[in-house]
Amino acid sequence: MKIRISALAIAILWTATSFAEPREPAATASPERKATEFAVPLGLPPMPPRFATVQPAKVELGRKLFFDRRLSFNNTLSCAMCHLEEDAFASTQSKKSIGMEGRTLRRNAPSVLNVVYQRSLFHDGRENRIDLQVWMPLLAEDEMANPSMGYVLDRIGELDDYDAQFNRVYPAEGISVHSVGDAIAAYEATLLSANSRFDRWHFGGEKGLLTKAEVAGFQIFTGKGGCSTCHRIEQESALFTDHRFHNTGIGYRAAMGSGRIHVIPLAPGVTTSMSDSQIDAFGESPRNDVGRFEVTLKESDRWAYKTPSLRNVSRTKPYMHDGSIATLEDVVDFYSSGAAARHATDGILTRLDLSVDEKAELVAFLRTLDGEQRSRP
Amino acid sequence: MRTWIFGACLSALVVGGGLKAAYADETCNSPFTAALIKGQEEYLHVWTLGMKGVGDESDKLVTIDVVPGSPTYGKVVDTLSVGGRGEAHHMGFTDDRRFLWAGRLDDNKIFIFDIQDPAKPKLHKTITDLAEKTGFVGPHTFYAMPGRVLVQALSNSKDHTGRTGVIVYSNQGELVSTYDMPTASMGGDGYGYDIGVNPNQNVMLTSSFTGWTNYMMDLGTLVKDAGAMKNFGNTMAVWDVKSMKPIKVLSVPGAPLEIRWSLKPGADWALTATALTSKIWLVRKDDKGEWQAKDVATVGDPAKIPLPVDISIAADGKHLWVNTFMDGSARLFDISNVEAPKEVYSKKIGNQVNMVSQSWDGKRVYFTTSLLANWDKKGEENDQFLKSYDWDGKELTERFKIDFIAEKLGRAHHMKFSARPNSKAIGSTMDVYRSLQN
Repeated sequence: MKIRISALAIAILWTATSFAEPREPAATASPERKATEFAVPLGLPPMPPRFATVQPAKVELGRKLFFDRRLSFNNTLSCAMCHLEEDAFASTQSKKSIGMEGRTLRRNAPSVLNVVYQRSLFHDGRENRIDLQVWMPLLAEDEMANPSMGYVLDRIGELDDYDAQFNRVYPAEGISVHSVGDAIAAYEATLLSANSRFDRWHFGGEKGLLTKAEVAGFQIFTGKGGCSTCHRIEQESALFTDHRFHNTGIGYRAAMGSGRIHVIPLAPGVTTSMSDSQIDAFGESPRNDVGRFEVTLKESDRWAYKTPSLRNVSRTKPYMHDGSIATLEDVVDFYSSGAAARHATDGILTRLDLSVDEKAELVAFLRTLDGEQRSRP
Repeated sequence: MRTWIFGACLSALVVGGGLKAAYADETCNSPFTAALIKGQEEYLHVWTLGMKGVGDESDKLVTIDVVPGSPTYGKVVDTLSVGGRGEAHHMGFTDDRRFLWAGRLDDNKIFIFDIQDPAKPKLHKTITDLAEKTGFVGPHTFYAMPGRVLVQALSNSKDHTGRTGVIVYSNQGELVSTYDMPTASMGGDGYGYDIGVNPNQNVMLTSSFTGWTNYMMDLGTLVKDAGAMKNFGNTMAVWDVKSMKPIKVLSVPGAPLEIRWSLKPGADWALTATALTSKIWLVRKDDKGEWQAKDVATVGDPAKIPLPVDISIAADGKHLWVNTFMDGSARLFDISNVEAPKEVYSKKIGNQVNMVSQSWDGKRVYFTTSLLANWDKKGEENDQFLKSYDWDGKELTERFKIDFIAEKLGRAHHMKFSARPNSKAIGSTMDVYRSLQN
């Protein structure tokens, strides 16, 4: 045991060193390394200090890495293949993301917009820095499937279009574990979206901008619906998350529920239906998912997932951590009907019994959260 | 483009003469394929998907001796592993039949095999920049044109949806041009799958499947995802093949897959089967000369999603083999009245069956099992084999079987016939043309 502990200690030390903040030279005179202020759109909090300024050249390098399919083992996947720019940097094509050689991942790809404000990353919050998070999909066997960090660095080094760019932006270190993560993080930090109709109405004082139904929806959101308990709106900004983990019953239902009947669209206007057991006869066995519990091993964290932001929510279907709810209307139905409350364990969720009009108003309000999308400084 | 259009006219003359049932080549090849096999096919090449836990786990071209009486009849005589698993799928000859192109739907590599010695194919060239150069991914169908190879892609590198196009390569593997599939302005969905050219009609038909996200996804996961299930093609496109311009989009709901033009002399129609809605569709001109599509038969019980996959048309245009993947059955349809095909025979080939290739005379029929790596059944249901049958007009009789898992090969997918260049089995296209005139 002693040996293992020592090895662990060394590994921690190494990791801490390897992922340390960049050792930037004092002078940043070259245009590639010049930092500029980065203004945030209406409705977002000030940028975290670390990302308050940006180097356009670093962001450009990070952007190139983010979109580069050559960074996956078989040149097929990039960050952007699951976080699609036209889908608000989420993926709307399937419930769960599809990884290396078509492997089914366990969860729906969350939007990367405004990720710079997240206090923890992934649906279960297992990482807390975006420059570190970058390496997990790069190395995960079912995602980009690179065999090691060194392999990734070698591969980038072997490509003839990266060396000069890294040397310009990171003259002291070139291509490294730190610089790869740092550049992608710098790019992701620029992916901001706000100044939505809601922002202009609520924070910008543009009275009359929202319709009567949308205003009624806001009142349900912050009142009877109790949505803002977790999807928080602060005094001067709103991220629509409390950064905490909640069991909404969705994960419990998937792990503990009995078989369901699935209505399967075959063509426009043509459907059939099959049970879980019929489908599982030819499909793969679904992988279990216990949520935040996998990180903390606390019983209260079983099937708990991070509260997602609701910005651009109308553009990021399907919903919930596993993409199991197809539309906003169905999400509202889910919470209103008490389906969540039956399996949720943290006591926040109760049956809402919203009327048809109230549900429509709530959905109308949620659609006002579609913001302007800015991806470049 | 001028060069191959001229060649197309020449080949159209050849095909226009009509091919009689004396020739034993496959019926699904491009009409521009030369060196048709006149007699018994000698080798069968199977494009095989690498499978985790099986042999070297890599995709490979497997070559099998299929000459009855040969000491190695029904045996694997060569394997050529290309490294890695990239979702090996379909193959196609160049028009001179010297090279066999084989694609991978995941990593988009195209392998060009030299089959001058068909008993021992050699890897001649690998195209690795399809996605980078064209923006399309998932090279599916390889279709010979004079001096050119048309490649129908399934998806694109930007978002992995079904929006895609057709790529034209020279026989040497150099990119010539690309064409987008027709989209909403023409009533199209932008999807692609197979290619079928009828030179007499100056028509190319294309069909439509789905994008990378769906074809790479586990089939069980996919059918539980109602949103993803809506991302399948529901159209076929009619193209002016000389100008490579789509001229009409036909509504064919439910993922129309393989396209088979009738080879019967004078016939002007094609068939396809829709995988999801389990229908056979007829494409032909109406009385006004407009191309139309209509469903003419049902395959199995559509509610159970039998998944009709590969189809193979008899050279005389009277019968059609239809494989249904889910129940592992081969079904024979009498299509002598193509407006009302009737199922007249069926046989369970295995737990699953995908591809079917029949000799030109219809007497030999070969079946393989793999559909897509993540659509194949799991565990003990995951049969992976090649089976060879004789067909006497009434019954399929098994001649040999190669178990691709026991032989440590992988998942058996697309098949192509070949013969030695100096073999009596081979005849030039012009030989065939001349014989038809006599």
